[in-house]
Amino acid sequence: MSVVVRKFEPDSKLKKMLDQPGGVTAEQALARAKQGLESIREDCLGATDEKIASLQVLAGGAEAGRGEKMYRLSNEVFAEAGGFGLGELSAVAHSLCSLLAAHEGAQPPRAAVMVHVEAMRALRRPELAGDKAARMAVLQGLRGLVQKFSAPAG
Amino acid sequence: MSGVDPNARINLSKASVLLVDGSQHSLDMLVQIMKGFGAAEVHRAQGVAETERLLKSKSFDLIVIDPNLADGDGYALVRDLRHSTNGSPNAFIPVILVSGHARASDVAKARDTGANYFVAKPITPNVLLQRIMFVSRDKRPFVEVGAYVGPDRRFKFEGPPVGSDGRRNSDLKSPLGTADEPNMSQNEIDMMIKPQRVML
Repeated sequence: MSVVVRKFEPDSKLKKMLDQPGGVTAEQALARAKQGLESIREDCLGATDEKIASLQVLAGGAEAGRGEKMYRLSNEVFAEAGGFGLGELSAVAHSLCSLLAAHEGAQPPRAAVMVHVEAMRALRRPELAGDKAARMAVLQGLRGLVQKFSAPAG
Repeated sequence: MSGVDPNARINLSKASVLLVDGSQHSLDMLVQIMKGFGAAEVHRAQGVAETERLLKSKSFDLIVIDPNLADGDGYALVRDLRHSTNGSPNAFIPVILVSGHARASDVAKARDTGANYFVAKPITPNVLLQRIMFVSRDKRPFVEVGAYVGPDRRFKFEGPPVGSDGRRNSDLKSPLGTADEPNMSQNEIDMMIKPQRVML
């Protein structure tokens, strides 16, 4: 069986633009990007608080499609908290996504979801959530929980 | 600043960039980063319909998209863009796919979209700048084979620089000669293409 392959090289305007004289150095570009991110930090982390609160309501409810809604919210918390340096909160959100993905189309295990949401609430302000060893122990515990609830039945 | 030469110059002062993300706040973050990089025009969209409308009406130089959109399949949107060869100004522009947590089923979809590069969230300015510079200098040709249209998914190892024997014992010498190991399985290739988080 032969497969027809067509190869071609589209023109890249981006390359030509990037190489034009002028512009900024990478160092300046990164500094300005980080400054821009700092300018929206409070707004974004305020929204993260609201997303965690929504997750808590969804976790305790019985709404149809709540698994998908929680997956989407948790994915947003993962990306946004991580982007602002809240690595532990981001890791918990990622763990919740893994748990929910393993139960796609089915009811997610309520207790395991609630534990994740409580951990998110605690790690939103890591400085108030115990020492680093305690926080690592929480993350380790959640990993075990996800493994347990994601294992194939049988 | 690993991976990017701090003195390298970039000029996006004439670039028009389309940023697509279902989350308003993730989109805000992308906008701040791209404005920091000096992009002239930054357009934003939160859904498939809005993105399609912009792609039909404007010409862009770069798209950064999280395909997990609430109103439709962002993977299909990128795939359709690559197939829109009848005069569309955006059919072959660089596309960087950014993804948060990815379900196993999404990985294969991402591989087949025809995007130029994948970046795992959380996004940092360093990683995004590295990827933009990589994509702009990427020399892989586009291929159209079966249902796939996009950059050749095989990254080629071309050995150490010309005139050098390489610095590692494992560096291959030129000419390479015939293969002495079996070809990689599709599964191994898939694992190499799977989105990976870059630690800096």
